[in-house]
Amino acid sequence: MAPRQGIAIRLAWPLKTIIQRFAFLALIAVSIALLFLGKANIGVIEGLRTTTTDIMAPVLSAISQPVDAINATVAKVQNLTNIVEENARLREENARLLKWQAVGRALSQENENYRQLLNALSDPLVLPITARVVGDSGGSFVRTLLLNAGSDDGIRVGQAAVGPLGLVGRIVEVGNSSSRVLLLTDLNSRIPAVLEKSRHKGILVGNNSASPTLEFLPNNAVVVPGDRIVTSGDGGMLPAGRPIGIVSSVSGRRIRVQTFTDWSLLEYVSVLRYDLPGMSSPDENPGDMGESRLDAK
Amino acid sequence: MTPTIAYQINRILRGSVPFVATLLLALLSVVPTGISGFDLVTPSLVSISVFYWSIHRPYLMSAPLVFLVGVFSDFLTGAPLGLSSLMLLLVHGVALSQRRVFIGKSFMLTWWGYLLVAFVIAILSWIIASLYSLTLIPLMPVMAQFILSLLVFPLLAWGFGVLQNNLLRHT
Repeated sequence: MAPRQGIAIRLAWPLKTIIQRFAFLALIAVSIALLFLGKANIGVIEGLRTTTTDIMAPVLSAISQPVDAINATVAKVQNLTNIVEENARLREENARLLKWQAVGRALSQENENYRQLLNALSDPLVLPITARVVGDSGGSFVRTLLLNAGSDDGIRVGQAAVGPLGLVGRIVEVGNSSSRVLLLTDLNSRIPAVLEKSRHKGILVGNNSASPTLEFLPNNAVVVPGDRIVTSGDGGMLPAGRPIGIVSSVSGRRIRVQTFTDWSLLEYVSVLRYDLPGMSSPDENPGDMGESRLDAK
Repeated sequence: MTPTIAYQINRILRGSVPFVATLLLALLSVVPTGISGFDLVTPSLVSISVFYWSIHRPYLMSAPLVFLVGVFSDFLTGAPLGLSSLMLLLVHGVALSQRRVFIGKSFMLTWWGYLLVAFVIAILSWIIASLYSLTLIPLMPVMAQFILSLLVFPLLAWGFGVLQNNLLRHT
């Protein structure tokens, strides 16, 4: 028996190495093939991706909770040191905002009256779905967020995601209980935007850096740093008039935008279920309240 | 004599430690930290893990497992699918072929080895990602990520060493 076993081992050893080498090269080839296939948006791959995020979203949610708790504690301690000044500042701000609130109410009522006089259609109701941010992109090649709400909660591809201060991005991928937001700083992001004052329209183009650029403005548009930029609502995907940011610098045709959103402090974002009557199909009507779990509560 | 089932299970559980640890690190790298700009430069914990285990326990971190870790990580981060797999397989391949250089030598040598591999990977992934999106992606964050990974390496390697000495001594 002994010599035969020896032969078997002598034969098996190189065979094993060859198989391992082959597996290694084959897997490299598969990875490269995946890179090409990924460009083609194949349904199966998208399905696998959303299934993975669906399964992992609760896990990530659990992991991120202690991190959030630590951050909250640190913030609390930091706030304790200047609590008196902060209080004085907030009182002042509160007084100022109360004045603005009165102005806002009056203007909103005035607007409503004019609309009625003109018989103008008002924008459809926008319902927010607020979801927790459970993941970020963890790298420098894409700028995305992972949310712990998905199609079961009424989220659909294309809806806008807004933070407390302004627009964050758009939904690009939806699983049953998780979804992915493409941030407006990602280089694949294109958001129709408008200069708030001059009403010149352009496209906000992300470039993976913190400051996206405003492009495709008409030639006669005058832009100065400090101009506010809001969504234009062109294309019917995003609601109009949502704040995005301010122009931070203008050099030649290159207009850089500083977003209102503080990217490091995004714990929750609201996804806007926006529906223009007649523009979205009833099957995937994102504005339909009936499909949301929120109503059951 | 066949080993008992309990022994087998024990062995499989211990053997899966490197793989599971790597998956956990992949999850950890996408958890939002609340630190401004950190998500851009999150150290590549997964590549450190693959590098370490490919040197110290190559049969527990085989090429198919490395591939799976890469796909998992791409699914989580939303990066171009296949990019991480390709990069991690390269890390694995280099570490495996140069094992003899690193094993039993000083830690500094391993660290130096990781520096070289991670640098090449950073540049290569930057080139591929730029080609993929047909624009020049800012290089600075990629380099910052590389340097942070390098700084985290000793800490993680120490942790893996502890795991290895306690759970994987006889595997």
